[in-house]
Parts: sequence; structure tokens; C-alpha cells
Amino acid sequence: MRVNRRDLVVDGLTVAGHRRRGPGGAVVCVHGAGVSSRELLPFVDALGERHDTWALDLPGFGASTKPSRPLTLPTLADVVAAWVTETGLERPCLLGGSFGCQVVVDIAVRHPELVSALVLAGPTVDPHSRSPVRLAGQWLRNSVREDPRMVPLNVADYRDAGLRRVLGTFGESIRDRIEDKLPLVTVPTLVVRGEYDRLVPQPWAEEATRLLPRGRLVIMEGLPHMTPYRDPRGLARIVTDFLAEVRT
Amino acid sequence: MKPGKVVASFDSATGMLRALSRFLHGRDVPLIGQGPAWAEPWASAVLGLANRLPRPLQEKAYAASGWAEAVPPNRVGDIRSDDLARWVTGHYPRRRGQVAFVGSSNGALVHLAAAVAAPWLPQTLLIPVRRRGVHPDEPRRDLLATQEAGNALTSANPDLVLHQMHDANQDRLMIAGMTYFRVKWRRLPEAYRRFLEASLEPGATLVVVECGLRRPVTRVGPRHVFQHGALGGATPREYEEGGPRVADYLRRYGSPHRGWDYPPVDEESPEAEWGFEPSLLPDLRELAARNGWRLLRLRFTEPEELSPVVADLYRDRYRRRDLPADRLLAECFLLLEPWWTLRSGSVPYWMVFNTEPSLASLTGYLDRSDPFAEIRLLLFSHGVESVGLASIEQWRQVLARAEKVGVFTGGDPRAHPRDFAGLARAHRELSRIRTTYPIPPPLPWPDAEAFLTARLGSLQDDE
Repeated sequence: MRVNRRDLVVDGLTVAGHRRRGPGGAVVCVHGAGVSSRELLPFVDALGERHDTWALDLPGFGASTKPSRPLTLPTLADVVAAWVTETGLERPCLLGGSFGCQVVVDIAVRHPELVSALVLAGPTVDPHSRSPVRLAGQWLRNSVREDPRMVPLNVADYRDAGLRRVLGTFGESIRDRIEDKLPLVTVPTLVVRGEYDRLVPQPWAEEATRLLPRGRLVIMEGLPHMTPYRDPRGLARIVTDFLAEVRT
Repeated sequence: MKPGKVVASFDSATGMLRALSRFLHGRDVPLIGQGPAWAEPWASAVLGLANRLPRPLQEKAYAASGWAEAVPPNRVGDIRSDDLARWVTGHYPRRRGQVAFVGSSNGALVHLAAAVAAPWLPQTLLIPVRRRGVHPDEPRRDLLATQEAGNALTSANPDLVLHQMHDANQDRLMIAGMTYFRVKWRRLPEAYRRFLEASLEPGATLVVVECGLRRPVTRVGPRHVFQHGALGGATPREYEEGGPRVADYLRRYGSPHRGWDYPPVDEESPEAEWGFEPSLLPDLRELAARNGWRLLRLRFTEPEELSPVVADLYRDRYRRRDLPADRLLAECFLLLEPWWTLRSGSVPYWMVFNTEPSLASLTGYLDRSDPFAEIRLLLFSHGVESVGLASIEQWRQVLARAEKVGVFTGGDPRAHPRDFAGLARAHRELSRIRTTYPIPPPLPWPDAEAFLTARLGSLQDDE
């Protein structure tokens, strides 16, 4: 894999970045709740062939600094926004996976000047499923279709973050009302859903896209929630095509 | 025999009758109107398993499902057209209105009738009749084997014309064990007369739906013709003379033939499934004159001619209500959902079938229209990789024209054209659309008529 790590101190917190430097415009990936960039590295490698691709470990996760308390969603978003400013990337495309979608949407709404486009891979949380029990059920149903090779990565991520932080982020994800923010996203946004994603039902993916003023939905056939891990090359192709279209 | 058992439930006319009558009862159409909504998850699971069967088993199951509802040949003489007409009118709620439709089957017309909350009485019904020992690619033998049943039907029902239809292209699986008797009323049945008199107020309008589509036939008897092929992916010429597409298709299906040996063409006749048989007109004229109704003739040359007009009528109406009018619901054959069309604020575009000509008609409509943010496609699966079937890739290209969301609704593109679960899943997925709107009150008929007249020169008073 041709992904290198580069850490940067932002707002007093060390943020670990994983990068493959491709020739095209920058894409910054933000991982889901409780996990880290580990699951995104194959995708960074694939997209990095064409784009300057980054995956960040949010503070508290993976190789980044662990603040004493779990950070709220707006704080996480502010850290990523500050990271973008600090690195001097010129209006990158932000790509969120799962809970990462909520983070990047928050950035696009509050710091629109920093972002050129969004990719929402499996945007949580479906407003009809905003309860821990329902989400747990959906998570279990989805997990049977995920790649079993992802399990040790998840375990390592949960171990790094600790139970309190993992649960805290799930709580943040449930409390955040992404549906209220989507209509305020002004940049072109691609919503990506795995056909068998139980956490992001088709009606919600359609509704989320409809709420976005410049949204478009792509369904990846045969895939579950974690499309970047299950088909990194396929998703990289979709993102590359989308960015080519956005930039023309 | 019970009329409900005589008439094919899996057909355009009955599918449309169910969709419209359920709409007029304020209901949607789960399981293409064949079962309750609570059975949908079960049907979807069972048919989903059928989607995974090996292809030969799938084809046998599909053929068997058709055969099971076909009439045994020795019972054909017991069929009575009056019973069929009563069965048709029995679908509709009893109420009086300003307009009613009678005539050709047409999916766009179903949406027009739904918009103005009016009933439509079909001129044509399909009676599938069991028949053994005839290869699907041998139309002459089909005719020979079923002539007796044809005689029995026409002798017992002087008011019916029998349009026997043999389509070895698209109906390949179905005609393995049965033949298609499509019957058209040439005289107005008593039940239709009584229903119209009970439903229409004085001064109301009776609209005759007249699709002018014609096809080559062999004349079998004074009221019995044998139609060569059907409207769909293959051209009339390909049915008669064959060609590379036909030969390739027959080779793929392991047929010993490389073309179809239809009996000689005697004449052209109204198309069996969609065409209007004009001998019904005098009875309608007489009925309208006696009751003081206006008789309006809605004439068009082929079924999909109405689709863009009705689609635009819906779009215009949504815009007048300040709704987005940016959702397109492309429907195919009998996959029709008038209730969810209005509930979801969708513009309905009906296609006759899943073929390249239908795809071209939809594409042409998109070329001429303002863009749609959402395009949903209800794609019908008929089990056969037939001549002229539009490929999934072609449908994907249509869906990609949506600005935001372009999706197969209820369909599994990998299983097409053997996606049997789509029949159960189409309504289910459609009914899960999140953004919905109140169903509007019926459109006054004069408004609809004004719109149609501006678009269709052929909508005229009978002279």
C-alpha cells in the first residue's frame, strides 16, 4: 500500500492523517462512529491513484490524540475544518463514511468556504431509526453482509477508542439531525448507498438526496454499509467520475 | 364457470381494471391487486427465492403459474360474455359522475381516469385456454389444436369477436401450455349499459377510447381471427418473414425452427390486446343519444401515444398546486399504481412493455421535457430474453438522466427479465417513498378535456 502517515497538531490535538498523493484535487475522508481510518486505507490507496487522498483519524480515535472526554459532533467538525485550513488544501472534497457523513455535512453547513463537494457514503442516521435499539438491530442485520476481514480492524479501533468514547460517538450520531442540515448544503453532493445497507434504507437514501439542493444518489449493487471497505476500487471510480463532472 | 377464473388475472386489461377500480375505492395496488398488503413480505420472500432458482426451473414455474389459471378447452363453451361484463362492472364503486370511459386498454388512460375519478370499461379481455402438445414456435398447429374451442366460444357468445393471439417471442413461456383467446365486445353488454346508466348523470360525457393499432391476421371464421405475433420488441415483418434477430432468438432457446410459419395473412384487424373494434360504436351512440350524454371519441394510433399527454397533464396539475412536479414514475405493462402516483406527486409515464420501442418512447419524452429530479422505473419481467428486449444497461442510461435519484423501484436488475419478485416488491418500495402529498380532489372533466384537446387533435365529438 502506498499510503503514508502525516500527523498535524490542530487546536492542541494531534490529528493523524493517512495520505496517498495522487495528481488530482484533494479528497479528505472522515471515518464512522467508534472506528478509525483503518477501514478506509484500501480506499485511500485506490482513490490516491487519481486524487490527493487523505483519511483522518478523528480526535479520540485511531492514532490521534485522545481527549479526556468524548468530543461533540460540532467540535469534531471544527477540528476537521481547522485541519483543512492548516494544511492549506484548496477547497477539498470531503468524503464521510457512515457517521463521518454527519461530520462532513456539519462542516459544509458551517464552513462552506472550505469545501468544494461532498461524498456521503452510507449517511447515518435515518430519522425513522433514531433509537439505540433500532440502530443496533439494523447494525446486526447489516453485519452479516460485511467482509469478515473487517472484524479485527473494528476490534482494534474499539480498543483504541475505549467503550466510553465509542458509546459517546454513537450517542452523538443519534442526537445529530442530519436531515435538518442537508437542505443547507450548497456544494454538489454524491450520496452512495450499498444495495444491502441495513443502516441506510433505500427510502432514507432517496430522501437524503432529495433534501440536498445539489444531491445525486448512486447505488452500489450487492454491497452492505461499508462500501469503501468492500469495494474500494469501485467507489474510487464513482468518486473520480463525480469529481470530474463537478469540476467541469 | 366463475368469470374471475375465466379471465386471466395476469393480463393488461385485468391489471388495469384492478388498478383503476381500487383507486376509485381509495385503495392502492399491493401485489398487482392480487393480494393484501400484509402478504407482501411473504410473497416477496417466496418470489425472491424463485429469482434464485436455476433458469429451467424458473421458466417451468412461470409457465405453470400461467397454465394453472387457464381454462380447460372443454369448459370454453360454458363461458358467457354477460357474466364477464357483470364481473367487470362489479369492480367499481357505485356513484354518479360526469364522465366514464369505455374501449381500449391503456395504462396512461388509467391515470387519466384516476385523475378525473371516472371508471373505464374494457372492450377486451384475455381468456387463456389450455392446450397440449404444441411447440411454441409452431403457430399453425396452435390454431389447429384450438379451433374447436374457438368455435365453442364464438357460438355461445354472439356478441364477442375472438382475436386469438400467438406471440412466440414475448409469450414463449406462457404459450407452451395454453393459447391466448382475446375477446372483444362488438355489442354493448347489458351489464355495461346498466352500469353506465347508473354512473353517468344527464349531460355527462361518455368517452370511447379507440386505439387504432392494427395487425396482420388470418381469418378463421366470421368472428374469429388469428393474430400473428403481438406489439412489442419484434416488428410485424419479423413475425412473418423472420430475420437475423428472430433466428438468433430461436437458436438461443434451442428451437428446431429459425422462423415462424404463420398461416397466410388474409387482412389486418384491430390489434388483439390494445386495438379498438369499431363495431361497438353504434350501440354506444344509441345509448348516449337515449340518455342525453355527449359521446366523445379519444382516438390514437398506438397505445403509447397517450402516455406523454397524460404525463404532462399530471405535471401541469402538480405545478398548479405548487408541488415540485419533478418526480417521474415510469410504469411498464400492468405494473400500475395510480394511488401512489398521486400520493408521491409523481408524473406517470406508461410503457406498453419492457422493449426497445417502449424505451425509445420514454427517452423521447425525457428529451422533450424539463428535467426530472427523480426517475423511478417499474420494470415488468416476462421471463423471456425476447427479440427487442431493452437491456438493463439501456434502462440504467435512462435512470442516469435523473438529476438526483434514478432507481429501479422493486426491481432486481440482475434478475431481469426473470425477476418475479418485482411483482411483489414494486408496490412495496413505492409505498415507502418518504416525501408525500395529499391526494387532490378529482380534476373536473372539462379541465382535463381542454388539456387533452389542446394536445390531441383526435379528441372529438362523435358526428
